[in-house]
Amino acid sequence: MTEADAIVFVVDDDEGMRQSLKNLIGSVGLRVEAFASAQEFLRSKLTDVPGCLVLDVRLPGLSGLDLQKRMAEAGIEIPIIFITGHGDIPMTVQAMKAGAVEFLTKPFRDQDLLDAIQQALEHDRKTREQRAEIEKLRSRLDSLTPREREVMGLVVAGLLNKQIAGELGTSETTIKIHRHQVMEKMGAGSLAELVRMADRLGIPTPK
Amino acid sequence: MLKLDFLAQRVSHTIWQYVLAVVSVGVALVVTNSLERYTTLRTPFFFLAIILSAWFGRMGPGLLAVGLSTLAVDYYFAPTASGSGSGVDGRPFILLFSLSGLIACWISVQRRRAEEALKRVRDELETRVEEQTSDLRRASEGLKAEIAERKRGEDVLRERANLLDLTHDTVFVRDANNVITFWNSGAERLYGWTREEAVGQVSHHLMQTIFPAPLEKIMLELNSTGRWEGELIQAQRDGTQVVVASRWALQLDELGKPIAVLETNNDITERKRSEESLHKAQTELAHVTRVATLGEMTASIAHEVNQPLGAVVNNASACLRWLAGQPPNLEEARKSAALIIADSHRASEIIGRIRALAKKAPPRKEWLDINETILEVIALARSEAQGNRIALQTQLSDDLPLIRGDRIQLQQVILNLIINAIEAMNGVAEGPRELKVGSGKDDSQGVRVAVRDSGPGLDLESLDHLFTAFYTTKPQGMGMGLAISRSIIEAHGGRLWATANEHRGATFQFTLPAGGERMS
Repeated sequence: MTEADAIVFVVDDDEGMRQSLKNLIGSVGLRVEAFASAQEFLRSKLTDVPGCLVLDVRLPGLSGLDLQKRMAEAGIEIPIIFITGHGDIPMTVQAMKAGAVEFLTKPFRDQDLLDAIQQALEHDRKTREQRAEIEKLRSRLDSLTPREREVMGLVVAGLLNKQIAGELGTSETTIKIHRHQVMEKMGAGSLAELVRMADRLGIPTPK
Repeated sequence: MLKLDFLAQRVSHTIWQYVLAVVSVGVALVVTNSLERYTTLRTPFFFLAIILSAWFGRMGPGLLAVGLSTLAVDYYFAPTASGSGSGVDGRPFILLFSLSGLIACWISVQRRRAEEALKRVRDELETRVEEQTSDLRRASEGLKAEIAERKRGEDVLRERANLLDLTHDTVFVRDANNVITFWNSGAERLYGWTREEAVGQVSHHLMQTIFPAPLEKIMLELNSTGRWEGELIQAQRDGTQVVVASRWALQLDELGKPIAVLETNNDITERKRSEESLHKAQTELAHVTRVATLGEMTASIAHEVNQPLGAVVNNASACLRWLAGQPPNLEEARKSAALIIADSHRASEIIGRIRALAKKAPPRKEWLDINETILEVIALARSEAQGNRIALQTQLSDDLPLIRGDRIQLQQVILNLIINAIEAMNGVAEGPRELKVGSGKDDSQGVRVAVRDSGPGLDLESLDHLFTAFYTTKPQGMGMGLAISRSIIEAHGGRLWATANEHRGATFQFTLPAGGERMS
């Protein structure tokens, strides 16, 4: 399951630990980028590829939990795996509630960490795909004329061509042409596909 | 003039007396003459005249009356030859008459004189009685005034005594033999004996007073300065012990001889108790803090060691993965092994650092006044001593050098010695239970602390094993106290040893070097 296009970020202030994490994660063929502090990580330019963050809780300056909060505020959606020397329950709960993927106590089994990393990367990849899909649909939607968008809304609402023509005060033929244009521009092969697209774009459809 | 008047009065009085003699004889003559027809008696009225004259005029007029009467009788009534012609001689009759007259006169005068003397004596007596009566009256008035004066004085005293009753303090007065002479209501309240019960008792016996220093020393201070202040342990009527802050003031007579001591006591049992519990709490807190510090240190040690251990595990796992590759990545595996070695070294370095730290840390050095250190322990141990009816005394030397050491460790040693002594004395039924804690300089200018008891003492056999671990004579003892104490003292560069007292009991003492230069 090695993937060259994914990056694992590591933030740990202990040099030995940082080094060993790089080594371990590298041994399964993943790209690793390591940082000694939260600030250093925040300053770095992140490559737009699937990734995850292996984060030590106890850090000098900004703590791991602080960094998690900052990233959420900044809209950086990288899944986080926490590692700590001695974690307590409240700390774990706080981290998990804020969306952490896993919380591991050092020393941990290598497989546990690598599994967590795979899971996180998978999660990130899916998120990215969904995000890309919606981006694509949105740009297609943007290419529709106002009239076409109006027609599309009524089509996915379940109205017949005749009804739409009556609604918009035009001929059924004109509606047929508009409808064809919409299917073409949105890349939808069938009405069902168009309805699914409208649903993902947040356009109201009958349940 | 007065004298002249008096003289004139006297002369006229005498004349009148003579006149009375003449008149009375004349009257007698007339009466006798007029009665001549009825009786033959011629003399009685003349005798009457003589007696009257002699009575009122004394001898002179009396004799005059005798003479006149004799003449009158002789002339008119004597039986003469010529007069009656009876031929009887009248001379014996006249002679007899004048003789009788003289006797009557004399008797009358004497009688009068006796009367007058009697009167005089009576008058004098009366005067004297009067004088003495007035003397007595004067004396009694003086007495009354004195009584009133005394009463005023007593009122003032009573008022003062009432004032002493008003105070919340316990106030009593004892004379030179410590016999209670005054006992205020505060004393009644605190001790439970009424004034009637307490007055007349020897105060120290009544209250079973336990002094903080030998009584002779206290009396010495009281006699030289007139005052003394200190804490006493006294028994109430029901036997409950109270701790009082006591102030003594000495009252002297005009010659400067002590006659009484005014003792004012304040019950500080509660305060003492809360002080003790506060101190106990503080000491416990100090222990807890140290334990907590140890706990924190342990956590930080665990974290420190955990990091390289975690790294070793990660690198070893990575190494196995590099080797398991197809083909195995030997270069990366070799790098991993090198990292494992580096991490292991780091772990052992951390362990070494902690060991060095632990070696240096205890005992914690601070500058200590050994007396303060002792007194803090005494405050803790006093209730234990009281509970076992032991007189706990201190003899602390003033000019001791400061020492450097671990206060809590040293207090543990002192407390251990005191508790040992108390437990030793508990086994003794008779004799005084005395525990003395003293401090002084040792031969090499360090300090020496001695804990001396009046318990059963030590035998030669136990002297040998006393400081050996797990050696104990106590039923529930661990046998660790003295062994630990000795190691603490030795860690401070001092010595701890025990000796049997000459008479009874044992003394445990330790030395500590001044400034702690020899401390390891």
